[in-house]
Amino acid sequence: MSNNGSKQTAIVRIQRFNPDTDKKPYFQDFRVSITKDTTILDALHEIKTHQDGSLTYRRSCRHAICGSCAMCVNGKHMLVCNVPMKNHLNRKGRVSIKPLTYLPVIKDLVVDRTSFWEQYLRVKPWLIPLEDVPEKEYRISPDEVAALNNAEKCIMCGACYSACTIVGSNKKYIGPHALLKSFLRILDPRDAGVRERLEEVGTDEGVFRCHTIFNCIDACPKKLDPTKAIETLRGLAIKRQAYEAAKRKRQQTIIEPVLVRE
Amino acid sequence: MRVFQLQRISAVAMVVFMTMHMIVVHYPPFHIDFSIILERMQNPVWKVIEILFLFFVLVHALSGAYAVLIDYENVARYKKLIAVLALVAGIVGFIWGTLTVLAWQPPT
Amino acid sequence: MYKTTGFISFLLRRVTGVALVLYLFAHIWVLGSAVDGPETFDARLNVVQSPFFKIAEIALLAAVLYHGFDGMRLLIVNYFKVTDARKSLFYAVFALSVILVIAGGIPILLFMFEGLGG
Repeated sequence: MSNNGSKQTAIVRIQRFNPDTDKKPYFQDFRVSITKDTTILDALHEIKTHQDGSLTYRRSCRHAICGSCAMCVNGKHMLVCNVPMKNHLNRKGRVSIKPLTYLPVIKDLVVDRTSFWEQYLRVKPWLIPLEDVPEKEYRISPDEVAALNNAEKCIMCGACYSACTIVGSNKKYIGPHALLKSFLRILDPRDAGVRERLEEVGTDEGVFRCHTIFNCIDACPKKLDPTKAIETLRGLAIKRQAYEAAKRKRQQTIIEPVLVRE
Repeated sequence: MRVFQLQRISAVAMVVFMTMHMIVVHYPPFHIDFSIILERMQNPVWKVIEILFLFFVLVHALSGAYAVLIDYENVARYKKLIAVLALVAGIVGFIWGTLTVLAWQPPT
Repeated sequence: MYKTTGFISFLLRRVTGVALVLYLFAHIWVLGSAVDGPETFDARLNVVQSPFFKIAEIALLAAVLYHGFDGMRLLIVNYFKVTDARKSLFYAVFALSVILVIAGGIPILLFMFEGLGG
């Protein structure tokens, strides 16, 4: 690894697999010249443009909002577009890139996210509206928004799903991504589907399969907290009837206009 | 959900019983034989405590074993069978253990 | 993703748990000899109090302590929804387990040597 001024050469070890020609995946090393600002995605672009055009990976926005470029870097799951390469070089100046774990590899760093999306759809990730609609807009308090714990910021990148050990052993496990989105709706005062949601996730394939390994929190590029959401849902699933009654009571006031002191 | 609740409740019970067990039975380390245990078992309260301990241990161990097994997708298919086996193992263990505790009668 | 403290804690908890379940059934079997009378019981118990088993007992102590403390940590996480302090809690469990294994293991070793010498 040479180090003249601000540029240095890094070794990028990438897991390759071409289903047309390879029996199984293998690692290939590339040398890339980097500065302190080069992101891992920049390096992948450089390799694809100038060294090997067959390198295949997903990417889009390149500023951590689309969720396309989640990969496994040195054993940790992250988005590669906002991560400086320099921070992840080992002593030999090398970084290892593999596709998201536990998902079938289609080609190189692209994986089949079917089980990820199936579990997501399973929790009905949309608002189930109330039968009665308020006269004016829905009003919810800042405390109620805070209780959602930023869950709406999730970009569905898949880092948490692939980091979860339980997903590895059981593809029927709903997964931290979907449980977080279910939490978002169950706690949202405007959503009317509490019973069906809790019945779906309050099961042995849902929140009770989580063993609080915390890999999901470590992996999330948006610093979200699926574990806390799952813990909350566990409590709600056990006390379901009490929670449903409390929510119904809250929804009475959401339908009637809420008086706001000016 | 029930398995999770059973595990948590028996876990709390275990903390209590296990602490008591360690202090009363195993501290400081000494040679254990039938007559030493008999001294304690003369008091029927100890027999009740040991049987309760046994009960909670079996609930925790078997609900734990069940939870571990159904973590694995291929095994989870046989959930009901595993639950039945665990229940049977629990009943057998409980009967055997209770009979053992009751065996501490002074030799006639 | 296997190098995280969360995964190591989970792995140790699972390994100690499985070991303890197996131990439980062995324990019930050993103690069960009491129904055959005091002599049978004492004979069987002498076997499991020999020096080799005494050393295994220290491993058993370690398993019980780690599993218990990690379980208590889980109860705290479940009930108080603590996710920020997760690493500190894990280190606390590990430290407590090590300290108590040493505190409990030394008397066992001393007792064992006493038995061997006397």
